[in-house]
Amino acid sequence: MSDLNNTDLHEEPESSVTVIEKQAQRRIFKIIVIGDSNVGKTCLTYRFCSSKFPDKTEATIGVDFREKTVNVEGEQIKLQLWDTAGQERFRKSMVQHYYRNVHAIVFVYDVTKMSSFENMPGWICECDQHNLNRDIPRILVGNKCDEKEKIAVNTNLAQKFADSYNMPLFETSAKDDEKANHVDAIFMTLAHKLKNAKPMMPPYLTVQLGDNAQRRGLERASTEERNDSCSC
Amino acid sequence: MTAVKEISMISKRFGDEFCSEEASKNNNSRQSVKRNKEFNKSEKWQNIEKTLEQDPVDVSSLKQFAISPGGLLDDELRKEIWPKLLDVDVDNIPPKPGIEVLHGHRDYNQVVLDVNRSLKRFPPGMDENIRLGLQDQLVDLIMRVLVNHDELHYYQGYHDICVTFLLVVGEDVAFALVDKLSLNHLRDFMDANMDRTKHILNYLYPIVGKSNPELREFMERSEVGTVFSLSWLITWYGHVLNDLRQIVRFYDFFIACHPLMPIYLAAAIVLHRADEILACECEMCFVHGLLSKIPQDLPFEQLISKAGDLYLQYPPADLAYDAILNFQKTQSYAKARSKNLQKFTRNKKIDKKHWFIFDHDRKNGFLKFTFWTVTTAVVSAAVIAYLRSFEWEW
Repeated sequence: MSDLNNTDLHEEPESSVTVIEKQAQRRIFKIIVIGDSNVGKTCLTYRFCSSKFPDKTEATIGVDFREKTVNVEGEQIKLQLWDTAGQERFRKSMVQHYYRNVHAIVFVYDVTKMSSFENMPGWICECDQHNLNRDIPRILVGNKCDEKEKIAVNTNLAQKFADSYNMPLFETSAKDDEKANHVDAIFMTLAHKLKNAKPMMPPYLTVQLGDNAQRRGLERASTEERNDSCSC
Repeated sequence: MTAVKEISMISKRFGDEFCSEEASKNNNSRQSVKRNKEFNKSEKWQNIEKTLEQDPVDVSSLKQFAISPGGLLDDELRKEIWPKLLDVDVDNIPPKPGIEVLHGHRDYNQVVLDVNRSLKRFPPGMDENIRLGLQDQLVDLIMRVLVNHDELHYYQGYHDICVTFLLVVGEDVAFALVDKLSLNHLRDFMDANMDRTKHILNYLYPIVGKSNPELREFMERSEVGTVFSLSWLITWYGHVLNDLRQIVRFYDFFIACHPLMPIYLAAAIVLHRADEILACECEMCFVHGLLSKIPQDLPFEQLISKAGDLYLQYPPADLAYDAILNFQKTQSYAKARSKNLQKFTRNKKIDKKHWFIFDHDRKNGFLKFTFWTVTTAVVSAAVIAYLRSFEWEW
């Protein structure tokens, strides 16, 4: 189901003890990639983590996980990309679990398919319903822009939409080898944002200290609540 | 229940050595050698042919062949035996409806998207034109079932099951077989939503926990959930295994068994990999990363036996309570957390700095205790009602 691609760009031969210590200091950021079926979520994450376009892509069933360690301003940062299934039934039941503790969201649409762009408000709304901190970085990616003759989503329209949600827009192609650096740049932009926005304790240490299910977000479980949802 | 009988018979022949988890752990390699000696393919082939010559054919013997080592051995035998196992009359298969009917279905576009991306499921080196023809047939096969039963909903992964049948028995017979399976073994996956699929996944932890409580505790603590096994369950492993031979071997087993058997096999795989899992960082991403990728060289025959063994030791009825408890636990947790965060994000008096502290300073054991006390109380009250409504009769 999943390709686990741990591409460490700066791996050096070191003693195992040193490596573990370094890992302990390495910050981990969890990024969820969402959007309609067949917009290229798997290809984008695969392109970034493996530096190539996958030969044979398949429908994602449930959630796939990929990761890559990158160097941002001298700091090793691990980006965990959670690639989700696009079919509605999965996102309604299965994907919710993966919204937890995410540090950034990548919304993906297909520039050749208007419906995948039109569904974006729905995806954003869904994120809001999952109570993600609205300050976490979100980016909008229009994929498949190599198919120039089929482009259906106008850049200006997409830019206006992105502006209205205060997120940057990137149009790219996971398939086009010439755009490979562009895909990298998108995720690196996100990595920079995350690095500078979150001067926090390394998640690795947080885990070690026992940040488990019962301790994340359940303190006020029994207090009175009211719904805070968007209109969708 | 017939499936129990079948597995029981097989278990008597091959199961003694797998009865004890400890014995199985210690003696895997020795057992595997022993098993290979016991399994004589040509002898089994002869026995299958003898059974097929009988009129009426003894279906329970065929089920036994499908479950026992090697399964049904060959696709020619499968063509003949799978319809018998599913009580399908291959001489009276309804004709294919017109294109406009097939293409007018609500799920047609999604099916086409998924079939177009299913290249990996066709044998490597297959001529492109043949493959394209088969992909067209695959779309038609799926649409025929969906059109035939309006209550069934397509899910991504259903195409992985259908392509397996298509490659072994051809479009028409595949339609008849998948049509039958969709109303039985696969029915729970084909609701409008995935609630019942989730419920089946909730059987995984109870089965694992009965055999290896430490492993269950570790997996729960990691919060890995069950989604790593979702594609195993709903595609009958077709999505995650590369070798079609291995996939059809599993299909022999699943067709002949209780619909929950794929989850028992999932438990067998997880238990088999216990040492690897326990050596892993106890965190969702690490455990998910490890488990979601099934090594292609696992001792699959042994795992089939193990799954049968687990089924006998811990039949679904014995696990229903625990599975519901598991379901309730995850639901309560998700709901509680969701509500809590909603309130928290609304509270404008608390600035980001506090948010940061809140997010990372959670070590109060009392709160943990309170949560579980509340959850247990709620669950206990709900469980009796649920037990009545979730009786598993297949």
